[in-house]
Amino acid sequence: MPPSSVKKTIRSGDTSKQDPFTIIVVSNPALEAPWKSGTFVIDPITSAQAAFDACVNYIESSLFGTLPNQREQFIADPTIAPKIRLISLFITGLTPQPSCSLVAQDGASNLLVARRNVFLSVLAGYGLNVVDVAYAVSLSQSHTRASAWYTTDDDGKGGDTFTLKGGTFSHRYFNLIPGTVALHATSNSLTALHEFGHALSSYSNGSVVDLYVDSSSGLNNKAERPIPAQFDTYKGTSMASDSARDGLGYPASWVSYHCELLDPAFPAVMDNYWMAHDGIPEHCQHDRITREFLRDRLSAKISR
Amino acid sequence: MEPLKPQIKEKILDAIPDANPEEIQEYERLLAERFTVDPDLATAPDALDAHDAREKRLEELHKKLFRK
Repeated sequence: MPPSSVKKTIRSGDTSKQDPFTIIVVSNPALEAPWKSGTFVIDPITSAQAAFDACVNYIESSLFGTLPNQREQFIADPTIAPKIRLISLFITGLTPQPSCSLVAQDGASNLLVARRNVFLSVLAGYGLNVVDVAYAVSLSQSHTRASAWYTTDDDGKGGDTFTLKGGTFSHRYFNLIPGTVALHATSNSLTALHEFGHALSSYSNGSVVDLYVDSSSGLNNKAERPIPAQFDTYKGTSMASDSARDGLGYPASWVSYHCELLDPAFPAVMDNYWMAHDGIPEHCQHDRITREFLRDRLSAKISR
Repeated sequence: MEPLKPQIKEKILDAIPDANPEEIQEYERLLAERFTVDPDLATAPDALDAHDAREKRLEELHKKLFRK
């Protein structure tokens, strides 16, 4: 099969900008199996365009808050949603090799792992030179669990400064490596939104970490016992701690604690949303600091 | 990283009698920790040692929790 590609603009975003905030969804041409092995095979997604297109639709719904019952709507805000460009790129027929492999299969789990350093060169080959967050979609037959790397910000360029108790940081306008997500074509519910929370965040200006493990510290997670009443002060506004990890509870062995929930009846999106008490993960919303941080980071990038 | 569904944790504990919830928690914590460090900057000796220790433990836990 000769190489070919289909590029679609799903949402045009802010056409008045030279570099509009851009999310790319791309089919993974080749899997590294296992990760870091140097062995590359064709990803079955390359011959399943209908599955890829369905996944693009799913990602759009999850991000823009249109899944059935979905309550997390921050990207659907009329000041944000119309400014986001969303492009899909279906690639087929490439010879499996390191330079075109966007996803690896982890050897110690069923995680799909984004090969983050390859994304910019692959996408540039299709004329996509502005990338903020990229999803690589796989149809791996053995690995189905999504993962994401945070953005590596370009700290040499501008941004909107903000303060936390720990100091002054910046919602950077540009990146050196975009946030990257490896996602299975059958992913559902809040998975795409959860991974977006990681991918939009930053290694140097606030990382949004997983809340369902006793994580290292990040923007949305701290470690201390007893849990202090105040979680942090973001842009001068004090935010409370979630003293009980409402709905789930902190295991006795943990030292992690989280920010106050917007809806204490449900886990946060970055927590284990599969454990929503009513069995409807789409009822989960971000905690307070994560919601405000992600919204501000999006707004800063949109404004560039 | 996508969280594990509670049913999958239950299946692991049912299938592997000598596995316990703390080991699943440790496995999940170590997997999640991988993504919290910029892989292009984690080149200092201490970071590499931590990386190697984490991956070794992950391999042990994976073998135990997901053995057929």
